[in-house]
Amino acid sequence: MNTNLIIKPDKTVEAFYLFFIVHTLQIGAGLMGVPRVIFIESGTDSWIAILLAGIYLHFVAWIMILILRKYDNADIIGIQCDVFGRWLGKTMGIVYVIYFFFILLSVIKNYIEVVQVFIFPEIPVWLMSGFLLSLMIYALLGGFRVVVGTSFIFFLLTIWIVITISKPITYMDWDHFTPIFQTGTLDQLKGAYKTAYSVLGLEILFFVYPYIKNKQKVALPVHAGLAFTTFLILLVTVVSIGYFSPEQLKQTVWATLSLFKIISYPIVERFDFIAIALWMMVIIPNIVLFGWALIQSLKRLFQLPEKSSLYVVAILLFLASILIEYRVHINQLTDWTSSLGFWLVFVYPVILYPIVLIRKRFRKENTP
Amino acid sequence: MDQSTLPLQIDSYLDRLKQRFNESPDLIQKVFHIKGQEVVIHFISYQIKKDRLERELLEPLTKSEKPWSVHDLQNKIPLASSQTVSSIEKIAELIIHGNVVVYFPGEKEAVAFLLPQQQVRALERAETESLVFGPQIAFTESLVTNLNIIRWRLDVDDLVVEKLIVGERIKSEIRIVYLKSIANDENVDTMRQRIKDLKVAEVEDTSVLGQLIEDSSSSIFPQLINTELPDRFCNSISKGRVGVLVDKSPTALIGPMTLFSFFESTEDLYMRWNMGTFIRLLRFIAMAFSIILTPMYVAALTYHYEIIPTSLLVSLGQSRAMVPFPPVLEALLLEMLIELLREAGARLPTKVGQTMGIVGGIVLGQAAVKAGFTSNILIIIIALSALASFTAPSYLMGTAIRIIRFPMIILAGAWGLIGIMFALSFIVIHLLKQKSLGRPYLAPIYPFQWKDINDSLIRLPFQKNNARPLNVMPKDTERHDPNKAAEKKDVDPS
Repeated sequence: MNTNLIIKPDKTVEAFYLFFIVHTLQIGAGLMGVPRVIFIESGTDSWIAILLAGIYLHFVAWIMILILRKYDNADIIGIQCDVFGRWLGKTMGIVYVIYFFFILLSVIKNYIEVVQVFIFPEIPVWLMSGFLLSLMIYALLGGFRVVVGTSFIFFLLTIWIVITISKPITYMDWDHFTPIFQTGTLDQLKGAYKTAYSVLGLEILFFVYPYIKNKQKVALPVHAGLAFTTFLILLVTVVSIGYFSPEQLKQTVWATLSLFKIISYPIVERFDFIAIALWMMVIIPNIVLFGWALIQSLKRLFQLPEKSSLYVVAILLFLASILIEYRVHINQLTDWTSSLGFWLVFVYPVILYPIVLIRKRFRKENTP
Repeated sequence: MDQSTLPLQIDSYLDRLKQRFNESPDLIQKVFHIKGQEVVIHFISYQIKKDRLERELLEPLTKSEKPWSVHDLQNKIPLASSQTVSSIEKIAELIIHGNVVVYFPGEKEAVAFLLPQQQVRALERAETESLVFGPQIAFTESLVTNLNIIRWRLDVDDLVVEKLIVGERIKSEIRIVYLKSIANDENVDTMRQRIKDLKVAEVEDTSVLGQLIEDSSSSIFPQLINTELPDRFCNSISKGRVGVLVDKSPTALIGPMTLFSFFESTEDLYMRWNMGTFIRLLRFIAMAFSIILTPMYVAALTYHYEIIPTSLLVSLGQSRAMVPFPPVLEALLLEMLIELLREAGARLPTKVGQTMGIVGGIVLGQAAVKAGFTSNILIIIIALSALASFTAPSYLMGTAIRIIRFPMIILAGAWGLIGIMFALSFIVIHLLKQKSLGRPYLAPIYPFQWKDINDSLIRLPFQKNNARPLNVMPKDTERHDPNKAAEKKDVDPS
């Protein structure tokens, strides 16, 4: 397998789009429930935990870009095979594939559950996952540019929801943030760790990097995307803590979505219905981008033809989404992917970087 | 010897041509004896101008002092267009196209003089894309007239008009029009190649050609613009797009286009920029409304009563109290009614159409509500969205939007807001995948071109928006220097 990819110029995109790729992939199913998850660990100081997580996020992105810059035009699959050798490298590639599969499954399952709980109790699971997966297939058949376009356009179509949060802000009680600095360091780190599920998606950089036209400009959009994600998570968490009482927040599974309940306009009484339906457009870039990374990895690892592996993956996801029935199982799935994602996305690059450095130096000495 | 090539003796020549025309009574043949020389003349009476034939060809021909030769015929007859032919097929073709063919039996070549008479209508006002103000003429069915208008509007030698012939049975003349120093070569090559590669028996009209050469024929969205307005055509050409004209068709084709250019009207340019921007934005909002309004009504009334404000819910409930159908059926019924009205109005003669609009729209609508078929509010919604869909300057795009509504209403009736969102997402991804002559269809939104927004979603003053659309990759991107254009030099008050 070649470490570096040769990409035709008409398949590449500007670095500018990395902002949207990274950001839309991070915002998704996680954001719906993130306030409660962090609050349970870090309490009133949750905002510190998020800031810590945000800073670490930037650090990881910096490391990832450093790793990628050691190569000309490589993705993580090629880099792993270059560093660890053929077998171990491919095994690590398979870990990525499994991770993508499970995160796709958990995103789909989480969204379906939200729809069932909030607006449509009787909507069948097969229908919802059929909807989402058919959109994924349709977009992926269009190639990489359509994938990027999906994340860009759906970002524009949904970002305005943020403005509606101004209404709950007026109902915030600032006393909920006191006492300040009372949470222990361990709990803060735990809170930061719990943020992981909602900020997964950074790893896409390892896969799209070869497709970027102006590689020297990669850093700014990536970091801007991360900063924007951190800001959004911080915003919904702070508003949720201020809006809900602590006991209430601990029991509200999807606090972000519950915030929308208060919002109403002269023509729309309950905005949460619109917001949750519109959340499908937040989910689609997730599914499409993760699906693309999954198909791309399979192609790189085993030279599988894209179309047939796409159909097979979609059918597997469809079956899996029907088979998982209970909330407990969805929670378990989310926890697994969350911890797998944590190690793979936030720890692994930090370990990989020194190995890449050693390997490169070692090779330089061997080949004068 | 081959029986269809000259030279032929007089009897066999006459026979062959008669056979070629299936003994048609329209083919007129005359045999003159001038100074002992036999001269055969063929033409179709209604394809040529008879007075010119007599005055300019027959008179000099018969009054000659010495016998004619082919060479003399070409040089001494005062007609601009003449050519020599040597096969019966070619002679027949020329006769059909309005030539008079003169042959001296036994010679190797005959001479054809072009004296055509075409039935053309005069230039008229645009009907389907009417403008309130601005140039009013529309293209006609005659290619020559259309080219004449274009040459008159774009009077530069930079204008290239390429000729192509398409159709294996019935040949149509096609012209590709573009500005050489601006239009992207790749676009021109794509257009030319697609037309050349066509293997069809005939091309009926420009719109048919458009469908044949479009990027995706399965999509409901048109990818090339069909226009009957010379000013729109020339404006597009001057921005670096490529135009196509087909003989016998009153519309022209322009590409590459984007989705947003289907909502641009040249009137936006003739109006002041702020008005133009307002009206352009109005059209986009109208399109969004037109697609979403009825499905939202259906979804809200079928599944999501909660999103309707209480005060509105009461009046909605009252107006729907008598209606025996579920909202989907109600909406589909009324949408169908509007489509019927539109279609009947389009088919009927104009005078009857007016009456029908009143009978259909007002009487039927009132009666439907009175009879408890539909609710008042739905009538308002449907009428609004129908009205909104008619604001699209391109008739094809307006129709596409109206048709999209039907599957969306059904989806909304089946799965409420989720169905609508699925349909909208599908449409967006579908649009992302479309291309026009290989250029992205959703530009300037994706790929994002900040400079193109100036004159697509909105329209800035001409001084500010000096760039040609980058999406079509023009060779020369700047129209003028924005600083120079903005300078205002008053007369020095000395």
